[in-house]
Amino acid sequence: MKALWSWLLELCDLPTTPTVEEGARALTGGGLEIEGLTDLGAGFSGVVVAQVVAKRPHPESTKLTLVDVITAKDGPATQVVCGAPNVPEPGRKVLWARPGATLPGGITLATKPVKGIESPGMLCAEDELGLGDDHAGIVVLDADDPTALGAPAQRALGVDDWLLDVNVPANRGDCLGHEGLARELAALLGGRLVQHDVSADLAELASELRTADLVELAIADAAACPRYVGRIVDGVAVGPSPRRFAQRLRAVGVRPISNLVDVTNYVLFELGQPLHAFDWHRLAAPPRIGVRRAAAGERLTTLDGNDRALEPGDLVITDGSGPIALAGVMGGQATEVTAATSRILLESASFEARSIRRTARRLGLLSEASQRFERGVDPALADRAAARAAVLLARLGGGRVATGLVDHDRRPPARPPVPLRLARAQVLTGTALTTASCEDALARLGCVATADGDGRWLVTPPSARADLLREVDLIEDVLRVVGYGEVPATLPPLTAAPRPLTTTIADRARRALAAAGLTEAITFGFQAPARLEALGLPADDRRAQPIAVRNPMSIDQAIMRTSLVPNLLAAIARNRSFGLPDVALFEVGSVFLRAAGQPPTGEPSALADEPTHAAIVLHGSRPRRFGAAEPWDAFDAKGFALTLARALGAGDPAVAAAADVPYLHPGVGAAITVGGVVVGHLGEVHPDVRARFGIDGPVYLAELDLGRFAEPGPVQMRPVPRFPASSRDVSLLLPEAVPAAEVEAVIAGAAEALVERVALAEEYRDADKLGPGKKSQLWSITYRAPDRTLTDPEIERAHEGIVARLTAHLPAARR
Amino acid sequence: MDTTPTDALISQLDRLAGEFAAAIAPLDDEQAMRATQAQFLGKKGQVSAVMKELGKLPPADRPRVGEAANRVKDAIAAAVDARLAALAEARRAADLARTVDLTLPARPVATGHLHLLTQVRLELVDIFAELGFAVAEGPQIETDWHTFEALAIPKDHPARDMQDTFYVADEIVLRTHTSPVQIRTMQAHPPPIRIVAPGVVYRRDDDATHSPMFSQIEGLVVDRGIRFSDLKGVLTHFANRFFGGSGGLDVRFRPSYFPFVEPGVEVDFTCAFCRGKGCRLCKGTGWIEIGGAGMVDPDVFAAVGIDSEVYTGFAFGMGIERMAMLRHNVSDIKLYYEGDLRFLRQF
Ligand SMILES: [Zn+2]
Repeated sequence: MKALWSWLLELCDLPTTPTVEEGARALTGGGLEIEGLTDLGAGFSGVVVAQVVAKRPHPESTKLTLVDVITAKDGPATQVVCGAPNVPEPGRKVLWARPGATLPGGITLATKPVKGIESPGMLCAEDELGLGDDHAGIVVLDADDPTALGAPAQRALGVDDWLLDVNVPANRGDCLGHEGLARELAALLGGRLVQHDVSADLAELASELRTADLVELAIADAAACPRYVGRIVDGVAVGPSPRRFAQRLRAVGVRPISNLVDVTNYVLFELGQPLHAFDWHRLAAPPRIGVRRAAAGERLTTLDGNDRALEPGDLVITDGSGPIALAGVMGGQATEVTAATSRILLESASFEARSIRRTARRLGLLSEASQRFERGVDPALADRAAARAAVLLARLGGGRVATGLVDHDRRPPARPPVPLRLARAQVLTGTALTTASCEDALARLGCVATADGDGRWLVTPPSARADLLREVDLIEDVLRVVGYGEVPATLPPLTAAPRPLTTTIADRARRALAAAGLTEAITFGFQAPARLEALGLPADDRRAQPIAVRNPMSIDQAIMRTSLVPNLLAAIARNRSFGLPDVALFEVGSVFLRAAGQPPTGEPSALADEPTHAAIVLHGSRPRRFGAAEPWDAFDAKGFALTLARALGAGDPAVAAAADVPYLHPGVGAAITVGGVVVGHLGEVHPDVRARFGIDGPVYLAELDLGRFAEPGPVQMRPVPRFPASSRDVSLLLPEAVPAAEVEAVIAGAAEALVERVALAEEYRDADKLGPGKKSQLWSITYRAPDRTLTDPEIERAHEGIVARLTAHLPAARR
Repeated sequence: MDTTPTDALISQLDRLAGEFAAAIAPLDDEQAMRATQAQFLGKKGQVSAVMKELGKLPPADRPRVGEAANRVKDAIAAAVDARLAALAEARRAADLARTVDLTLPARPVATGHLHLLTQVRLELVDIFAELGFAVAEGPQIETDWHTFEALAIPKDHPARDMQDTFYVADEIVLRTHTSPVQIRTMQAHPPPIRIVAPGVVYRRDDDATHSPMFSQIEGLVVDRGIRFSDLKGVLTHFANRFFGGSGGLDVRFRPSYFPFVEPGVEVDFTCAFCRGKGCRLCKGTGWIEIGGAGMVDPDVFAAVGIDSEVYTGFAFGMGIERMAMLRHNVSDIKLYYEGDLRFLRQF
């Protein structure tokens, strides 16, 4: 909300007049944050009010006029050359930018010859001062303008003022007008609100017409329209608004249109009550004003010229013949004020916030009026606003106000007073509030507080404060007036809270992977559908059935990720584009899968499963000193995966040969198992998949589902060996197709208690020596007993048993 | 004068010592030297051959020859030792003559990096853990009820504008704040409650200071007698631990509106960079806005079945990106989410 400092001061009576900075500080401290403070007159300087005392044509040009001006009564006249067509007759006041004056755009005036005649500065038009867009001629002040000669032009133009940009909280619709802000300012600075009393004006401007004879209200739906006040102003003439009146509107962001329209906007900004002016003669005769829901198929051409299809939820104003306006959103073109208007029906009403909000949003018509109705307009304002506007219309339009008003008043009954307990306020705030400080604060807020026993009150807030419904609301407001600076800093007493679970499995995974030398990425939870499609998952894979965002900001954020892999592949591509060829990243985060039983497409009806995954990608070379690249390979991915699994407490992570993962290379992929359960996959990313991300080099991958890991208990010590171990080797000639894991499994199958460790020591292939399709492996087996030093015969017996088993169970020959 | 056979034998033995020294002089490994030594001293060696002549000498002369033989054996052992010592010294000298240019690049020790947001989040959790807070979590795809309704933000409430929401279905949203974790925690546990809930949230907002996904940390304390001043105390502790260094930072509350707290406040910390004097970072105000907070609204307690006459509580929420930006001078919120190693490796 934009507010003018002069307007606020006009509406409150303060003990001392604050500076605008003091006012802004008070409002900000009270919760109405002043986000901007603009000196409206800062755009120019050295421009003064001057009076024309004589004028004559320029001898060299018919378009130029020589104007004599004075800046003090009976002072010396100065001749200025003026090119405007509207130089007024002597006696009127104009704005003279004297030599040395500065104008917007960094212009500094000097004395310069114009067609041979020296001109000290110039007479200014509005747009030259950065105000409005009127360049039809120079500014000529109204005949009765009271500004003194020689005074700064800012004063005459109404820009010797400050504009406050107020951030009004969503629950403070009452502060969307100067009156509401003035009420706050008065409360915070210890003053009181001043309301315009227009009864004397109404009496003075009364016409013989009676409102009730000219308009009838027939409003059935009290919920949709709890209050509707109508007034008639007759005999008005359309014209421009007075300069300073128009300037106020311009300052708060409304373009002045004509006196009749400007008045409704002026009162809206003054009181916060939106108003609408109908041309009475263009309404059905006699008008019978109703408010109802639109019927299906009804249409209305609104003020902006758009013919709009109405929907049954929309609230419309009717005049007996059909819809004439979209209530609270926009008037109809057929009944709008025109240059020919002479009699006006003023509407000052309140409408159901929800309907206005829905209609305004559907039609994209967020007006000053709809924004206020959406936040709720105090129905008690309607008659005051109608009266204030009627008086202004009559004054500015030269008309008279019909006697009386029509008033559909179906406001809900006044709310009961709100109980307030001092003790409760003290406990909740932890602040030293007293009976006196509470009562003072309530009074300043305009609340009526009746004592209800010791330290208890029954409080009736002002009708404008629809947000003060409960004791806690009052406590907040009392504290606001007392000042939040009075709240001390204390600590809550320590009570037994739940187990301090400060390290989640996700964080353990992150720490393990960072400790292993990888760099953590965090990517968006949503992604582009194309990135998921690039993985080539079959349609019945849960990961191929993402949950879509209904209203994404771009296609790149249209679905929730079902895998961490696509975003990490995209990160590789991005780093490559930055000239970084070596990328080793990991991410630990949630993926989003449709809950069990949900259909594979369409909007879900249940929340998602959100397992936490960890994924690692390796591309390019591992860190090296210099020289040739040392490319990552799949065994690096395996190393990181096993390191992670062990860090998460898995005692026996294993890698099972070959995995059916569509985005892995068909020959370079494996499942990671813990206790026989698959917890993830690793391998080389399928060349087709990485190509879809624009990566032309191998990418190695590991991904684990952290939900498959049990919370590990404390590690239990195993006895440290006290007797020596002995190793024996066995060299095997094997077909290429036998995986190493199978050899290990056969050795493990021997269940030989003395075996401590089995390790592959060497592997080599040599078709000439070994024959094609064969490989030679040297396995080293370590034997140890916990309670004695093993003897050679014991070791030999165990070792030969294992070797015999290997040659029996595998197509293996001992070499 | 003619030499006696005894004298001849002794001088023959003495010559052998000289011959041995000459034989090992060109040798530079111990094994060869020991072989030569065995050759001289072994059963078939030169010394033994000479000693076979001993029986031919008069018995009275034999001790003299024995002495000479021992002298030769000692000389040979000493020659080996001296030669080995010389060789060891030469090796040591050669080793010490080595030079390595240690200004060449180091062999890289892979150094991992936790994401800056992870580092900051872990630190925040640690600070609150000092005050007895536990960590709670909740889903990112959330019900409208947990995200809004239970937090006193019904449909059509103007506050929904403050948080433009991504929808997944009519009643399912991407959570716009971590506050639904408050609701889930209060539903699951009776008071006392003392939790922080860090997590990712989503809003339809995208510019230099807003990202459609960002992270918050939410705090909630519910117990008998929890005061607004306790909120200030907890946040003051936090401010000084996270930003303070030497302490002395104040917390300022400004009234604000969040439907689920009453009173509701915006929280400012004394600017840690200028200590309140005013600088570029605090735009000259001396204060840094850090988040929203307030006392849990009675309507929220009602939604989760906690008696607000018995229990009171406070809640606060802060943006983790913003805190990291302030303390680490991060210029653009987008940098956090692009996976750019040039950024990630700095922290
Ligand atoms: Zn500062």
